[in-house]
Amino acid sequence: MEAKKIVTVGLAAVMAMSLAACGSGSSSSKGSVVSGSSSTASGSSSGSSDFLSIEVGKTDTDLKGTVKFLTNRTDMLKDDYNGTSWKQYIAEFNKLYPNIKIDVEGLTDYANDSLTRLQGGDWGDVMMIPAVVSADLPTYFEDLGSSDEISKLYNYTSGKTYNGEVYGIPITATTPGFVYNKKVFEQAGITSLPTNVDDFLKDLQAIKDKTDAIPLYTNYAAGWTNAKWDDVIGITTTGDADYLNQKMLHSKDIFSDPGDGTGAYNVYKVLYDAVKNGCTEDDFSTTDWESSKTKLNNGEIGCMMLGSWAVTQMQGAGDHPDDVGFMAFPMTVNGKQYVNANADYSFGINPDSKNLEAANIWVKWMTEQSNYSANEGGLAITKDGKSADFYKDMEDAGCVIEENAPAKSGEEDLLSDLNSESELNIGSDDGSRNAKIIEAASDGSESLDDILKDWNDKWNSAVDDLSSVSTAS
Amino acid sequence: MSSAAATAPAKKSFWKSRRGQQITVIIAFTIIPVFLLMLFTYYPFAEMVKFSFYKMRYVGKRVFVGWDNYKEIFRRDDISGSLVLCLYYMVGAIVQIFLALYFATILSMKVKCGKLFKGLIFFPYLINGIAIGFIFKFFYTRGFVLDTVLHAFGIPMSALPYWLKDKAVNNWSLVYSSVWRYMGQNMVLFIGAIMSVDSSLYEAAALDGANNWQKFKYIILPSIKTIVTLNIILSITGSLSAFEAPYVITGGNNGTGTFFVVMDKVAHTSQKVGLASAMAVFLLCIIFIATIIQKLLFKYIFRNANADDESLDAKKAKQKARKAAAKAAAKGGM
Repeated sequence: MEAKKIVTVGLAAVMAMSLAACGSGSSSSKGSVVSGSSSTASGSSSGSSDFLSIEVGKTDTDLKGTVKFLTNRTDMLKDDYNGTSWKQYIAEFNKLYPNIKIDVEGLTDYANDSLTRLQGGDWGDVMMIPAVVSADLPTYFEDLGSSDEISKLYNYTSGKTYNGEVYGIPITATTPGFVYNKKVFEQAGITSLPTNVDDFLKDLQAIKDKTDAIPLYTNYAAGWTNAKWDDVIGITTTGDADYLNQKMLHSKDIFSDPGDGTGAYNVYKVLYDAVKNGCTEDDFSTTDWESSKTKLNNGEIGCMMLGSWAVTQMQGAGDHPDDVGFMAFPMTVNGKQYVNANADYSFGINPDSKNLEAANIWVKWMTEQSNYSANEGGLAITKDGKSADFYKDMEDAGCVIEENAPAKSGEEDLLSDLNSESELNIGSDDGSRNAKIIEAASDGSESLDDILKDWNDKWNSAVDDLSSVSTAS
Repeated sequence: MSSAAATAPAKKSFWKSRRGQQITVIIAFTIIPVFLLMLFTYYPFAEMVKFSFYKMRYVGKRVFVGWDNYKEIFRRDDISGSLVLCLYYMVGAIVQIFLALYFATILSMKVKCGKLFKGLIFFPYLINGIAIGFIFKFFYTRGFVLDTVLHAFGIPMSALPYWLKDKAVNNWSLVYSSVWRYMGQNMVLFIGAIMSVDSSLYEAAALDGANNWQKFKYIILPSIKTIVTLNIILSITGSLSAFEAPYVITGGNNGTGTFFVVMDKVAHTSQKVGLASAMAVFLLCIIFIATIIQKLLFKYIFRNANADDESLDAKKAKQKARKAAAKAAAKGGM
C-alpha cells in the first residue's frame, strides 16, 4: 500500500513537472507564432500607409497613449549626459504631443538583451532593431512602407529592407575615420588634411617629431577598436559601392596590394607602418579606452581610428571640445575620396502594439524633427535633415559620402559564411586579427606582406569551399 | 507493511516484499535528480560530442564530416600553440601549491596576527575574476603600479620589461595574477586539513625533540596528503582550462591565447561550432589523462604512507578476528 502510494506520488510529481514544462513551452511558442503571423497581415495592410501618412505636429496632436521604447543609449538616460538626454528629447516631443507618454528603458548589454526581449514578446512598442536576419523582420516589426516611397524621404534604410518593404528607420548614420586633435595637427605644421596614405604617414611622423603627443593611439587593449580598421573596406578602399557586400564575396586575393595606394592592403599598411615607425604609444598592451578620450581632448593624442560617432564622446571628455575634429580615411580612389556611411541602430515598431499610432508618431518625430543626427555627430536621416557640422567640411573638401550597397538577394548570409569559414571576421567586433598587425609591427616578427598573404590564403580557400558547396547543392 | 505481510503471506508479490519496497523507494527518490542530471548534464554533453563530428554553425545546414574536426585540431598552429601555454599555468599551479602549503603551515602554528594574515591572503579569492583582470591590467601598465614600486627600489625604468607587451614575460605576468587569486583558497583548504591533525601528535613530537621542519615532514604532510593530492589535481586541471586572466587582461592577443580563449573565438566569433566541440572533447580527454597520471604518480609517491594504512587495517582485522574467536570460544564453553 505504502509502496504504491510512494510510486503514485513520485510518478505524479514527475508527470506534473513534465506536463508543466510541456505546457508552458508549447503555449508560449504557439502564442508567439500566432501573434507574429497575424500581426504581419495586419501590419502590411494598415501599418504601411500609417507611417508615411503621418505629418508630425499635424496628425492627431491630442492623441493619448504610452509608448514603451527600448534603447541602447543608456548614457542618454542620465541627467548629466553631455548632450541632449532622452528626458530633453521627450520634453521637446511633448510640446507637440502632450498626451503621449514616452517610457524609455535602457539595456546595458543591448545587443544580447534586446534579442532575448524580442523573442519573449511583450517588449514594448518601439525598439532599436537588434541583429535579426532580414527574413525575420516581417515577423517582428511593423511594415513602414515600400522601399520606393521610404527612400524618397529617408537615407540608409537598405539594411532593414526585406522584399521591397522597409521595417526600420535608422536613428542616425555614421562614417568611419580618424578622430583627431586639431591643435596637435596645427603644432605639427599640418595645414591641410591628408588625402592619401603616404601623406598621412608623413603627418604622423611630423607629429612625433614636433610635438609631445602620441601621433596615433591604437587602443589595442580594448580589442574592438582594432576591428575599426576594417570599417573602411568597401567604398573607401575601392570607390565602388557594390564592392563590400557583392563583388568582394566572389573575389580572391582581396588583401593584395593594388599598387596605387588603395585597397585593404594600404589600410593595414597605415597601421603597420605607424607602429613600426614608433608613431604609436609606447606600450600598446596596456592602452585604456576611457582615458584615451580625455587624452585626445587635451592634446596628448594626435588621432585615433574610430568613427564619427566617437566625436561627441571625445568632445565631452575634457575642456577642449573645439579641438576635436574628424577626418575621412586618407585614401583617394580615381581622384576622389570616398566615405562610407553606416546606418546606426534602426527604430522598429511592434506590430502588436496597442499604441501603434503613437509609436509611429514617436519614430517619425525622432527621425524627422529631433535633430538627433546633428546632436550625436551623425549624418542626416531624412533627405532634408541636418548632419553634424564636420560633415560639411568633408563635403567641401570633395569627399563623396555613400552607403555600401546591400548584398544581392540570396547572398545575404554569404559574407558571414565566408567570415566564419575563413575566420577572418571582416567587419565584426573582434579585433584580434588586426591586433596581430600591431604585434608583428612592434617586434618585427612578421612582415605585413606575410600577414596579408596568410589572410589571402584563408580567404581564397573559403571562397573556393563555399562556391563548391553552392554549385554542388 | 506488516499487515500486508500478515494477510497474504503466501502470494506475496515482489513489489510488496521488503526488497521490492526498498527498490521502489530508491527509484522514487532518485528518479527526479537522475532525470535532471541526464537532461542538463549528460544529454547536452552527448549532443556536444555529436556536434564535434559535424561542420556546422549555430543556425543553418549541418554536414557530417567524421574525424575532420579532430584532425584540424592537430593541424592548426594556433590550437596546438595554445596547449603549450598550459605549461606556464602548470608551473604556476605548482608554485601556488608550494606557497599555499608554506603559508598554511606557518599560519597554523602560533603566529602574531595570524587571523589577519589568513584574511589578507584569502581575500583575493573573494574578488570577481573580471575585476581581478582589470586590477592587473592597471597593475602592469607601463609606469603605473608595479613599475613605480620597482622604481622606488632603485631599478631603472629602462631595465624593466613591458609586462604585457613583451612576449617573453607576458604569460608569466598572467600566470602570476592567477596564482595571486587562487593561492589563498588552497591555503585555507590546507589550514583546515592541518587543524584536524591530532594535537597530541605535535606534543609527542615536541617531547621527542622534533623541530618544525620535522613536524611538517613527518606529521603534517602525511596527515594531509589527500587534500594535497586533491588541490594539485584541481590546480592542474584548472591550468589546462585557464581562461579569465588572458581573456580579460590581454584578450588572448599577443601570444597569450590559452586553449579556452582560442575555443571561445572559434565557437563565438567564427561560429565553427563543430570544431569548438571537438576542441572541448579533446580537452576533456587531456584532463582525464592528466588526472590518471597524477593518481598513479601519487600512489607511487605515497606508497609508504599507504603501507602504514594497510598495516593499520591489518591490525584492526587481526583484533576483530581475535575478538570473534574469543566469542566463539565463550559460546562453545556454554
